[in-house]
Amino acid sequence: MNNTDHTTATVEPAIRLESVTKQYVGAETVTALADVDLPVYGGEFLAIVGPSGSGKSTMLNLLGLLDGPTEGVVRLGGRDVTDLSETELTDARREYIGFVFQDFHLLPTLTAVENVTLPTAFTDGQYADRAVDLLGRVGLGDRLDHTPDELSGGQKQRVAIARALINRPEILLADEPTGNLDRETGVTILEEVRRICERGVAVVAVTHDELVTEYADRTVRLVDGRLGEGDDGFAT
Amino acid sequence: MSGGLWRLPALALAWRNLRRNRLRSVLAALGIAIGVFVIVVLGIFGTVLQLSASQELGGIGNQVIVSPAEERQAEALTPRQIQSVERAAVGRGTAVPVYAENALASAGSQQSPAQIYGIDNPAALFEGRDRSLPAQHRGGAFVGPSVASALDLQIGSTVEVGGQQYRVVGFLEPSQDITPIQPNNAIVLAEREFTGGYDQAVVVADSPEDATAVADDIDRRLNVRTDRVDIFELSELLDTIAEFFTLLNRFLIALGSVSLLVAGVSILNLMLMSTAERRGEIGLMRAVGIHRESVLRLLLAEATLLGAIGGFFGAVLSGLAALALWAVTPIGLDVVVVPRNGGYLVGGFVFGIAVALISGAYPAWKAAGERPVEALRG
Repeated sequence: MNNTDHTTATVEPAIRLESVTKQYVGAETVTALADVDLPVYGGEFLAIVGPSGSGKSTMLNLLGLLDGPTEGVVRLGGRDVTDLSETELTDARREYIGFVFQDFHLLPTLTAVENVTLPTAFTDGQYADRAVDLLGRVGLGDRLDHTPDELSGGQKQRVAIARALINRPEILLADEPTGNLDRETGVTILEEVRRICERGVAVVAVTHDELVTEYADRTVRLVDGRLGEGDDGFAT
Repeated sequence: MSGGLWRLPALALAWRNLRRNRLRSVLAALGIAIGVFVIVVLGIFGTVLQLSASQELGGIGNQVIVSPAEERQAEALTPRQIQSVERAAVGRGTAVPVYAENALASAGSQQSPAQIYGIDNPAALFEGRDRSLPAQHRGGAFVGPSVASALDLQIGSTVEVGGQQYRVVGFLEPSQDITPIQPNNAIVLAEREFTGGYDQAVVVADSPEDATAVADDIDRRLNVRTDRVDIFELSELLDTIAEFFTLLNRFLIALGSVSLLVAGVSILNLMLMSTAERRGEIGLMRAVGIHRESVLRLLLAEATLLGAIGGFFGAVLSGLAALALWAVTPIGLDVVVVPRNGGYLVGGFVFGIAVALISGAYPAWKAAGERPVEALRG
C-alpha cells in the first residue's frame, strides 16, 4: 500500500481529524490533543505510537466517535460528525466502525458466534451466517459455540476481530491489539489485520508494540498531544 | 447457535446474565418470593377472616327491631305505631308484630326458663327443624332446641307456660346467627294467647340496605318530636365491622409490603453490584453501536425477570398455603376460593414484578447512561 496515492485531493479520507483539540476540564485543564490534523484513508494501516499520556487513547476515542473534540472537526467519509447526537453517533459507530481492544472485551455469557453478532443484536437482519463465515476466516471455524473462557488469548482476539467486522466497517480501530498476546500470536493477528486492510478498510492501531509498526503503512508519533515532526501526519 | 438468541435480545442476554451468578440471582428472587408470599397470604387470611365473620353474623343485618321507647316506660306499641312500621316495610321486607316475654316453661317435673313469643307468622322469623313453619300459627307451641332438650319434649308432648298447657307441634331450627330474636330458647305461641299491645315489631328486610332505609323511615314517621320508639338496627354495625376488617386487612398487607420493600432494596443492591461489575461489558455494547435504550431494556429485563420468577413462586406458595388453610382448619373452601383471593394472587405477582422493576430502574438508568468512553475503562 502506497500512501502517497492519497495526497491527491480527489480521494476522501475514510475518517479525518481537522485541527482537533481535546481538553479535559478538571481541577486543572489538561490538553490531550492540540490542533491535530490526521486523515486516515481506506486500505491504509496507520499505527499511532507514543509514550503513555501522549493522547493516543484520546485520539482513538475521537476516531471511534466515542468522544467529541473540544475544538475542530471530525469527518467521517467527508461528512462532519462533530455535532451529532448520541443516538446518531451510536448508529454511525455501528455502521462504519469496528473496534478491537487490548483485553478483547468479549461477553463471557455468549458463545463465539453470539459475541460476533452482538453489535447487530438489537437490529433487524440475520447475521449468524456472516458470523460463522468470519470466524472461519480468522481460523475459528471449529470454535463457534465455545465461550470465551474456553478460548486462548489469541483465539479471543480473533473472535474480537470477527466481531469488529460483522458490520462490514470502513474503519477498524485497534487499541493495543497485540498487547495481551505473545509475539507469535501477535504476528497471526497482525497478518489478519493486514488482510482486512487490503480489502479496503482503514485500520488505525494505537500501540506500544514495535511489531505493529512493522505491519503498518504509516506510523505517526504522538508527543504531548501533538503529532511528532518527521512523521507523516500532515498528509494533505 | 445464535439464530434464536437475538429474537428477544434483551430477554436472552438478561437471562444469561442472571444465570452467570446463580446464587445471587436466586437469593434476590427469593426475597421477592417471600415478600409476595407474605402479602398474598396476609391478604387471603384477612379475606377468610372477614368472610367467616360475615357468615357467622349472617342475617343480623337484615333485621330491624322496633320497641316502645324505654324513657316513655310504655309497655307496648300502639296499633298506630304497628301500622306505621308495616307501611315502612312495604316493598322492602316483611313486618312481624311480636308479643314477647320471659317465662318459666315446664313439662312434668322439669323446668326451664324460656323466651315466649306470640307470633302469627312464625315462618317470617324462624326456621322449622324437620318441616317448614306455617305462615299462619294455628295453635300449639313451636319449641326451640335448648328448651326442647331441657324439658325432653317430643312432638305431641305438653308444655306448660304461665299456667296454660300447650301441645308441642314443631321444633325450631337452631341458629348460628347473632340476632336478638333467638330460636334456641324460644317457645313460639299463637298471638291469641296474649292480650294487650305488641311488645315489639320485627321487620325482616330484603337486604341490609333495605333495613337501613326501613329504620330511617320508621324513625321519620314515629319519632318526630320525641322518641316514641327505640329502633334497633344492625346493618350499620355490620358496616362498622366490615370497615374494621377492611382496615385490618390493609394493615396486614401494609405489614407484608415491608418485606417486599426489603426485597426491593436487595434487588437494588444486586443490580448496582452487577452493573458495576459489568461496566466494561456495558461500555463495549455501547461502543459497538448498541443504543442506550437497548442497554436500559436489557438491564430492566434482568430486574423484571427476578421479580417475575420471585413473584411466581411467591404466588404459587401462597396459593398452596391457602389450600392448606382449608385442608387443616374447619374453614370452608367457599371462603378460601373467592375472586378476591384470586385478586391477591395476581396482584401479589404483579406487585413483585413492579417492585423489582422500580428497584432495578435506577441502577439500569445509571449504567446505560454512562458514556461508553468511561465505561470501557472498566
